[in-house]
Amino acid sequence: MTAQGELPPMPAPVPPPLSRLLEAELAELAPVAPRRPVRQLVLLVTVSLIYAAGVLAMVAMRHDLHELPGGWLVGAGLAWLVGFVVPMYLATVPRPGAVIPRWKLAGGAAVIGALGFIGLGLTLHPDGPSLGWAHFGRGRGCLELGVATALVPVVVGAIFLRGALPVGSRWIAAALGAGGGSLGGLMLHLHCPINDGLHVGLMHGGVVAVAALLAAALVPRATDLR
Amino acid sequence: MAEAKDLMQRYCDGEAGAFRELYALVAPRLLGYLLKMARERALADDLLQQTFLKVHRARAAYVRGADPIPWIYSIAHRTFIDETRKHKRAVVRVGEAEVLPEVAAAITGESEDRRDEVRGDPELVTAALDALAGLPPQQREAVVLTKLDGRTVAEAAEIAGTTVGAMKVRAHRGYEALRKLLGKPEDPAKKAAGGPS
Repeated sequence: MTAQGELPPMPAPVPPPLSRLLEAELAELAPVAPRRPVRQLVLLVTVSLIYAAGVLAMVAMRHDLHELPGGWLVGAGLAWLVGFVVPMYLATVPRPGAVIPRWKLAGGAAVIGALGFIGLGLTLHPDGPSLGWAHFGRGRGCLELGVATALVPVVVGAIFLRGALPVGSRWIAAALGAGGGSLGGLMLHLHCPINDGLHVGLMHGGVVAVAALLAAALVPRATDLR
Repeated sequence: MAEAKDLMQRYCDGEAGAFRELYALVAPRLLGYLLKMARERALADDLLQQTFLKVHRARAAYVRGADPIPWIYSIAHRTFIDETRKHKRAVVRVGEAEVLPEVAAAITGESEDRRDEVRGDPELVTAALDALAGLPPQQREAVVLTKLDGRTVAEAAEIAGTTVGAMKVRAHRGYEALRKLLGKPEDPAKKAAGGPS
């Protein structure tokens, strides 16, 4: 037996009639609006940006904006924004003709985002005095604020994807978390005045990793089919 | 017969008849897949009903214009995995004193729970199904999807929630194992002497 054609033909069996439960559900069948992924993505991004702007308004913008190198400020801001939008796109919009979103690419984006922002934060930051490890723990507030910012995009994304993920739900959840974490990173980029590489890398970049891990652990409970 | 995506759209619009047509279109193939995975007709029937119930409850997650079949297969795959895990957790030990009811054989010699299993004429079908049952679940699924159900490797990977590369490896290993099992059937005398009581 070396080729597919050599396997014996196996005709499809006759399925049983619909169960009583299904018949009962069909008797009360109501129309539903199928998912519109692009519309959901636009809504998700808009709501999340408004929420992040609200959080930023509450905690105030950083006071040293005018002193920072313009290239770094804009470049890093755009990187955070891309880190937010790309995983969200991959987590919510399937390829044309498919129902399930691209969880493999979304998972890859989550891993790259988490590691990338930590690495970039550690290496690319404005010159300034390093706080070192001694003051490292004080940055916990940034981590908490970033994760709190990630909450809304993750929750909204999970609501949109309920029932759509029979497989790959953890990777999709990680992408939602990483995207939300990047939004948290963007908010911290505009709020936190600490330029130390350790802080920017491990606390601001760490938000992406922490949010991705938390989402991967918790979101599938809401999105998985029961 | 209408296409699956048209039926799914009409079903989402509230047409119960479209669901029945969708069931008639997809259920035989899906039951074949579940039967080859579960190797027990009653369980496969139950998994099929569970799958369609989940499809019904998650129909708002369908994307208009998309092919629903890979999605429905993925739901069946997930349902099978969940059921297997549930069974593993709920292993019941039967004591020596307890008597299990025998399953009555029909006139064809097949027991009730295996009567409707997929069949072709030759003994080869039985041998292939038995050999298939001896494969690890992941390899079995890869062989069933790519060799028996005619799915592409990419579709099979999508359904099983794995990568194309991993699906290729599983299918190849499963097919090789199946070939060995079918090429070297176990010696009946050895089986009778050494088989479990």
